[in-house]
Amino acid sequence: MTNINGKAYAMNAVTPMKAWKTPILRLLFFLLGVFKSRQKGLIDLSFIHFARWVIVKNNQFPRLAPEQPEEQLHYDYLLFFSNFNGTWNEYIDAFSAVLSSGLDLIWRWSEKFPGAVPVTAFKRYISLVQFDTDYYYTAYPYATTNDVKAAIRVDDALQEFANDSPRLTPEQFQQAYLDLLVKVQADIGALGPAPMGT
Amino acid sequence: MANQNGKMYGLTILSPIIDDPKIKVSHDSALRMFLQNMPRHSHSPFANVSGTHICRLVVMDDVVFVGSPAKEEHLKSKYLVFNSNLYGGLDAYLEEMAGKIPDVVDNIWSHCVGYPGAADPKAFAAYMKKCQIETTFFFADVNDKTVEQTLRALQTKVEFTAFIEQNQGRSPAQLQREFAAFWERVRRLPLPPAGARELGTGQAAGA
Repeated sequence: MTNINGKAYAMNAVTPMKAWKTPILRLLFFLLGVFKSRQKGLIDLSFIHFARWVIVKNNQFPRLAPEQPEEQLHYDYLLFFSNFNGTWNEYIDAFSAVLSSGLDLIWRWSEKFPGAVPVTAFKRYISLVQFDTDYYYTAYPYATTNDVKAAIRVDDALQEFANDSPRLTPEQFQQAYLDLLVKVQADIGALGPAPMGT
Repeated sequence: MANQNGKMYGLTILSPIIDDPKIKVSHDSALRMFLQNMPRHSHSPFANVSGTHICRLVVMDDVVFVGSPAKEEHLKSKYLVFNSNLYGGLDAYLEEMAGKIPDVVDNIWSHCVGYPGAADPKAFAAYMKKCQIETTFFFADVNDKTVEQTLRALQTKVEFTAFIEQNQGRSPAQLQREFAAFWERVRRLPLPPAGARELGTGQAAGA
């Protein structure tokens, strides 16, 4: 089991859905994709590198040879995969506290979903439907989502500064350098260790 | 298309694992053992597949019974889930996997039904696409950077942090000279290895 790599945690979850509910959820995801402002909660949390929901219809599990038995499933399945920073408990707590209405909208179509609030029942449900990762790779295990976003801002600001600064007098350079530091002060600093705990 | 968010592609593959009751070690167990022992971090084979930001491999044994009154049901096959968050196009990525890490790809997917082998990258890509499930909703917080650009930005951030620390109190002329030298050094630094546990710091900050 390898759910953790540095500062990234790989979560996998699978929940059953009655087939007639699938089109409703697809429509909701479509609207979430079209109206980007509805993703603000996820973006503001800023601790998820990548996440996805995948609906697998009951007849959609790949069958690649006649000798492979055909699945005979009653339910469609909603798969959820997330790459987040922090511990499992922090993640679920934050999801429950900040995005409960959004999560309810997505998972209420899954069987026996108790709601994202209260968090104890929500955690019990996630524990039940989660399955572990066998191999987890990230190109930058030492970096959180915030580290990546900060680094891009610093890199962009420095590129611009390095292009403009050679033609400045030393005094002008010093002022521009101070302005640069003020601009990126929230984004500089050490990357720091990965969190401990569960 | 929901597989795509900006320039990032959310690849979701479900490959059925061979069920052969006649063999001593089942394919899913052998596959799990191989994944357990596969090199990690900068030695990971996926560090050689340039578009890979984050990926995972998961043996999915079964679906979950959430309790009555829901109906209990089970999968007839186990599935290998391959889930990659990659920059760029799908075909080029899959063909790069077959071309750059063919032994690893063979060792993993030879446990799966209908696997054609990695020797023919186009056949491998076609096989993977047969196993692909379209992502319904894909969220990517940063969706427009290559792995190389991301690693370079992280490197620049930590190097500049060290530079600031080491160059406090300099005269304007000295600061300007030091910065010009720093910027030259930081641009010439080798790219940090993909997958490495740590990022080296202070290599370009200077005295």
